Amino acid sequence: MSTLWTRLASAPALVVVAVSTAIPLMAISVQHIASVDIFAVWQRPGVTDALFFSLWQGMLSTVLTLAFGLFPTWVLARYRFAGRSILVALVTVPFVLPTIAVGAAFLAVLPTSLHRTTWAILLAHIFFNISVVVRTVGPLWRSVDQGLIESAQTLGASPAQVYRHLLLPIARPAIISAGSLIFVMCFTSYGIIRILGGPGLATLDIEIYRRAVQLGDISGATVLGITQTLCIACAFAWWSRSQGAQFSKIGDRNSARALNRSSRIIVFLTAAAFTAPLGALIFSSLHTRDSWSLTGWKVLFGLQDIRGLSIDLPSSLATSLVYALAATAIAVPVGMAATAFARRHWIHTAVVLPLSTSPVVLGLAILITYDRAPFDFRSSRLLIPLVHAAIALPFVMRATIAMGNVIPPDLRHAAETLGASPWRRWLNIDLPLLRPALATGVAFSLAMSLGEFGATSFLTRRNSSTLPISIANLFSRAGDIPRSTGMAAATLLIFITGLLVVSVDRRSYS
Amino acid sequence: MSLSIRHLSFSYNDRELLNNFSLEVASGQTMAIVGPSGSGKSTLLRLTAGLLVASHGEILINGINVSATPTHLRSVGLVFQDNQLFTHLNVFNNVAFGLKMAHQSRSAIAARCEELLNLVGLTEFSQQSVSTLSGGQAKRVALARALAPKPQVLLLDEPLTGLDDELHDRLATDLRQILQTSKTTALLVTHDLAEARTIADAITHIQ
Repeated sequence: MSTLWTRLASAPALVVVAVSTAIPLMAISVQHIASVDIFAVWQRPGVTDALFFSLWQGMLSTVLTLAFGLFPTWVLARYRFAGRSILVALVTVPFVLPTIAVGAAFLAVLPTSLHRTTWAILLAHIFFNISVVVRTVGPLWRSVDQGLIESAQTLGASPAQVYRHLLLPIARPAIISAGSLIFVMCFTSYGIIRILGGPGLATLDIEIYRRAVQLGDISGATVLGITQTLCIACAFAWWSRSQGAQFSKIGDRNSARALNRSSRIIVFLTAAAFTAPLGALIFSSLHTRDSWSLTGWKVLFGLQDIRGLSIDLPSSLATSLVYALAATAIAVPVGMAATAFARRHWIHTAVVLPLSTSPVVLGLAILITYDRAPFDFRSSRLLIPLVHAAIALPFVMRATIAMGNVIPPDLRHAAETLGASPWRRWLNIDLPLLRPALATGVAFSLAMSLGEFGATSFLTRRNSSTLPISIANLFSRAGDIPRSTGMAAATLLIFITGLLVVSVDRRSYS
Repeated sequence: MSLSIRHLSFSYNDRELLNNFSLEVASGQTMAIVGPSGSGKSTLLRLTAGLLVASHGEILINGINVSATPTHLRSVGLVFQDNQLFTHLNVFNNVAFGLKMAHQSRSAIAARCEELLNLVGLTEFSQQSVSTLSGGQAKRVALARALAPKPQVLLLDEPLTGLDDELHDRLATDLRQILQTSKTTALLVTHDLAEARTIADAITHIQ
């Protein structure tokens, strides 16, 4: 492979990451940190509270998610039963659902007394992140030889002792890996807390948004953003140290064991816990006060006008779809080209940069950096799709790398010995074989863009709101109609993103 | 501790793997079951260990019916054909596993492990990872691990399969000696009649 080809192919990916992430993050660090009294920022009201709340709710959410998640993980990894693939989809899809829609689902399912409480946040975090446990620990447990378990049983180990002395130690690296990732997700939680949080329940991301947008305290927001990024970097470093654990999809291969009584109870409780919020969301979208009503759906699709609502939902839906298509059109070819031609590890590491910072900090950094000529891009319609593409890029590349590793190198060598140039070889050999990865990349890019809320909440312009932004606006309004319309919009968003991800998951099973 | 197997039958997917099988093993005796592949030898061991549930018949250890007793409460040790050593634990902790499950004290565990590792000739390997052991050493660890909790009955599933001839013969002799020293009631299944003759006190054929 010529060096020129390698450089040219990976250049677009590096440009996307540089423009959307590296330059803005460096710019705010250089511009603001030197000129700001960091200690004064930490003494401002609400700042330390937000840090402590982020830390303790993040840790508690992680522990609870692991505690509750390991049971369904075991059952899905070791038992075969009717409806297993449906349960796998139910448990694993929430991780890619828009956080704002998950927040709405918990608003629908929980009693009013639990709204705006820590409990609501913890429950939503468990629901959202159990997928990480299932996908990380599940493959490891699936590979445990049944003979090892039987061996422990013949040595006098009860089911609880088998779990404690055999299965937990075997899965330890995967559990640490899953825990680190879950902590990062909960520590940087934004969409869920915007919907379910209340007074005194603000994470660092919420505090950053409040300072930047509501108080105009850009320097304070910047200090918090950098603190946040450092915390995430520490958690990611811990994550990468947990060797051996792969973030992979749970498959269908496992021992053909029938459900026993306890595993049947776990299946039932898991199915109930994962269907209840979605069922309640659909119910709430069709219900106002004491009667059934399609008002929410009619408003969503522009079939009914509500005076004073002043949120153009059909336009938000159209904007979201256009942004998602544009982000996908950037992320998929750029990501595939980078993985197909650039085999350098540092390029693969560089594109993960957007994931190692919170979308809120990313949005803030872009807003501050690109605010003056000749780099005033804030009003550019391309900015949001570019940021969404940067966030989706690691997922596209991961799918392509995983699939690319399966292609035998000799197949490529054969094409090359037959006179195929790198480009022709990629077009005629790699691309047809990478079609499933292409489908996965497209589905994930669309889903991530449709649900992205953190960065978009900073970058969105009046009259060009995306659907998640409009949902957040609807839930900030009082009254039945905004609520049922918000529920309808969240249902639609969950339906589209869920369908996208399940369709590629099913393809990869086959 | 005597072992009685009475009229044991087992079917899986409408296929009869064991039909009305009976057997008596006296206390301290080593009984070998010899038969070809697919004759139900391993199934018999798994039924005795409680890893499978018989469709008919009963299993008595020292006169007590254990047919409905869960595996972990049955006090039956099993040496698996492929050892099934715990790779996340070292040699010592593999041997200690059953003793820890019985909540024995640290000093008792250390003493028993030392005794067993001495018996199988692996004292100097106690802190070594099991994944670094040779086939013969791994088999000895599996045997020591199964004997450590002093099971009432020891089951051996083709324990010498896959070893080279020299090691096979040496281990067969050692196994005989270890079983006699530990005075354990044992049930051995094998397809090798010569191996059965070397290790066991009595032989039963199964078709």
